[in-house]
Amino acid sequence: MSPEPESLLQGTLDLLILKSLIAGEMHGLGVSRRIQQITGGTFVVKPGSLFPALHRMEEEGWISAFWGESENNRRAKYYRLTKAGSKQLEVETERWGRITWAIGQALETS
Amino acid sequence: MPLLAKARSFLRNFFQFRRVEADLDQEVNAHLEMLIEEKVRAGMPLREAQRAARIELGGVEQVKEQVREARTGALLDSLLQDFRFAIRSLRRTPGLTAFVVVTLALGIGMTSGTFSMLDGLIFRPYPVPHPSGVVTLVSTTHDSPFENFSYREYLDIRDKTKSYDGVIAYAPMEAVGFSAEPGTTPRIKGGMMVSGNYLRVLGVEPRFGRSFRDDEDQAPGRDAVVVLGPEFWKREFASDSSVIGRKVRLNGTDFTVIGVAPDTFPGMSTFGHPDLYMPLAMARVFSTNIQKNFFEDRDDRELLVKARLKAGATLEQARNELAVMAKNFENEYPLINRSRGAKVYTQFQTRTIEDENWKFGVIFVILALAVLLVACTNVAGLLLSRSRARAREIAVRLALGAGRFRLIRLLLTESLILAFLGGLAGMAIGYGVIEWFHSKESIVFMTELPVAIPFHMDKRVLLACVALSVLSALLCGLAPALQSTRVDLVNALKSADVDVPGRKRLWGRNLLVVAQVSMSLMLLTASFLMARGFQHALLDGTGFTKDHLLMTSFDPRLIQYNATQTQQFYKLLAERMRQTAGVQSEALTQNIPFGIDDYTGVEFVPDGFQMPPDRANFTSTMDTVDEGYFETQGIPILRGRAFLPTDTADALRVAVVNEHFAKHYWSAGDAVGKHIRLDSSAGTQVEIVGVAQTIKNGSMDPPVDFVYIPLAQHPVARMVLMVRSSGDPLQLVQPIKDAVRALDPNMPMMQTRSYEEFYLNQAVRGPRIAIDLVGSMGLIGLLLTVAGLYGLVAYNVSRRTREIGIRMALGAASSDVLRLVMGKGLVLVGFGTVIGLAMGFALEQLMNSMLFDSGGVDILAYVAVVPTMFLVTMLATYLPARRASRIAPTQALRYE
Repeated sequence: MSPEPESLLQGTLDLLILKSLIAGEMHGLGVSRRIQQITGGTFVVKPGSLFPALHRMEEEGWISAFWGESENNRRAKYYRLTKAGSKQLEVETERWGRITWAIGQALETS
Repeated sequence: MPLLAKARSFLRNFFQFRRVEADLDQEVNAHLEMLIEEKVRAGMPLREAQRAARIELGGVEQVKEQVREARTGALLDSLLQDFRFAIRSLRRTPGLTAFVVVTLALGIGMTSGTFSMLDGLIFRPYPVPHPSGVVTLVSTTHDSPFENFSYREYLDIRDKTKSYDGVIAYAPMEAVGFSAEPGTTPRIKGGMMVSGNYLRVLGVEPRFGRSFRDDEDQAPGRDAVVVLGPEFWKREFASDSSVIGRKVRLNGTDFTVIGVAPDTFPGMSTFGHPDLYMPLAMARVFSTNIQKNFFEDRDDRELLVKARLKAGATLEQARNELAVMAKNFENEYPLINRSRGAKVYTQFQTRTIEDENWKFGVIFVILALAVLLVACTNVAGLLLSRSRARAREIAVRLALGAGRFRLIRLLLTESLILAFLGGLAGMAIGYGVIEWFHSKESIVFMTELPVAIPFHMDKRVLLACVALSVLSALLCGLAPALQSTRVDLVNALKSADVDVPGRKRLWGRNLLVVAQVSMSLMLLTASFLMARGFQHALLDGTGFTKDHLLMTSFDPRLIQYNATQTQQFYKLLAERMRQTAGVQSEALTQNIPFGIDDYTGVEFVPDGFQMPPDRANFTSTMDTVDEGYFETQGIPILRGRAFLPTDTADALRVAVVNEHFAKHYWSAGDAVGKHIRLDSSAGTQVEIVGVAQTIKNGSMDPPVDFVYIPLAQHPVARMVLMVRSSGDPLQLVQPIKDAVRALDPNMPMMQTRSYEEFYLNQAVRGPRIAIDLVGSMGLIGLLLTVAGLYGLVAYNVSRRTREIGIRMALGAASSDVLRLVMGKGLVLVGFGTVIGLAMGFALEQLMNSMLFDSGGVDILAYVAVVPTMFLVTMLATYLPARRASRIAPTQALRYE
């Protein structure tokens, strides 16, 4: 049993998936582990959220999918960032920056 | 680009469903395998790793479902699911499905069939480009809102109005004697005189050849050219395109074929589809009024005028402009245009004023909608019962987390499928109704002219079918869907029969029964009233003889007789008839009672009558007859005398009027010896020599003023010969043919038949069409109601089997049970009857105002209908109730 992770804020999942795919193409489990790693274990993405998000983003054209071999020579579906995806990452990053800044401001005022 | 990507994935999701699914399955399973491997590598035992991985994944199927929902087109996908599911569940209950489909089909079919009638009579646009711009210009008088214009008046309107892109004129379709080769006996075809710009202004391009030139209607008698109607060309010339330039003979004059009208243009009128179009300038060959000069006389009003509104011109402007014009006519020609106005009608106005048959269409559609409503309530009741039986299934779905909306959608999908199946079958029934109408064509139109019933199963009617299906799906599906998804979960899951006998729950169903009973009562009343109305109209006494009469019509103009030759022919014909063996008496008349052609009118001023300041004259219906008419047709002369051979052209002008006329203008009714002046107070003086009994001139027509004028003093070209026979009138056909051939071998005889046969068609079989139609709607309504009521009571019985068993075990007699079960049903029938009576009464008022005008309330109709209704509904509740009263308590208690 994994320790209770933080629930993901609406809209941050896309950002995290895009960000983790910057490191290169990877399969679903890879994305999941990568997010766990880059958030210091704060977020654990469950497959029930991950796969719908991946498919949706593929349909949006931000990422593309292809079949490849896993480390253990297993057939697995890999995802990679597209040009549109990189652009989307910039948009999302910028948006996230604004949100955190605004929330920070809000919390600082007494 | 994103849109394109979306579209692509939508198509992929939709059409490569299996591949996408297989992909997804592999992906998720691979993920699971990798999770397990990861955990094994971390040192977990294999079994424990498998378990942990599954927990982390959260169920392969669930993940897949979540992905499916995220996909593009998920909504459509789920609709398809609903569809498949609905089909499955409908196939599980084939009997119910079939019943519902048939019920809805009856309602939709009846409605679409009758709608096609209303559409054909009123709504269907003219078969020309931009039909809404075409308006009708009419002359109006005190007595008529729809009069024709004369040629001179048409020219003025055409040249002086500014609201139109073109003004056209045409004469009503008339019988024309047609022979493809000179010298052969002419056959009767339907010909229409049109202005030169007719086809051009309407925007009709000939199929080939050319249209008329605008100047082709200007020089009287110069341009003998003809355009053929599409059907005629196919039938008569076998679609031969070399027909252009051919000469054909019309009414004895050679015409050159210049073009063929396209298939899309069967003609502008609702019923008639002209075979031949001739320019107005050839009026001398075709004009009906031989006493007037078509080209000069401003009161020779034979032309219908239509025009195409200019872009930007409003109807209001056009109306004002024409009204001013009519005023000018009145000032300029006070004698013939006094108190004559003019109006511009839209297509809708034209069709509703010109012909009154559309009123039947309206009544039929109202009744058919009532049938549809009964059908829908029936189906709603059935679906309600079914959804109760499915309450458990629905409760389970709700408990498992299905959204209420999704369930409602599912149930509505079911009723939509039912309604569409019903609509499909309804189209077949509607087609049947239309075909049935067409099978009556020869009864409706006893004529040799090219006329047809304009009801078709076209795309407008099909569209109406689809709309009706959707409407009925909502009507019969929405209430059950709403109600059955509002279940009490706990109770529903606990017991198979969820009926917590809530008052509210049954309320809707009771309402359905009341609606059904009242609707079908209204339908029955309507069919009864319709039958009685026609019967009434006939029983009023027609006042003339129908049997032992042979009729046949002549129009010597068809073989180019002039006026003198024509009258000579009729004189000789009458003489020959009197000499023919088997002929008791003979008559010539312009019109026959219950005939197809409209009577002509006569304008007159009774001598010594003070005219109101705003009228120049009165109008009356008239007929031109010879001296044998009253005897042969069996119309009694009440006062004075009938016409005599001495009433010749040179003798004193005389007339016979009917009693209605006599009483109208001379309060004592004694008109003999009085005088009238024709047209105006300055017109020819005519002495009234006799008063004839008032007869009925048509089944729906109220008695009217009537003036008879002797043929010798008022020559008419087209006459009907009536011959009274001692034996079978049809045995006189050959002797008459021989006699006519002896006078002129080329003279065509039209409409030769037994008058009694003709009368029966016009007065009895024609109305029977309406009575049959309304009667069958009443019957369908009643049957559906009985089925619905029976179903409701039977369902109640089966639901309460246990309760009834307990009651009987505790000592209730079977009569108590009978009362218990029937009582409820009968109360509902009672309510329905009261409401139905009110609706029937309202409908009677409507029918009176539209059709029969019998006034008052037909008590007998209600006396006959209400007990019938009660008896039948009583039976429908009694049968299941009796079953309930025979329930053996021991069995009932073990029930379920």
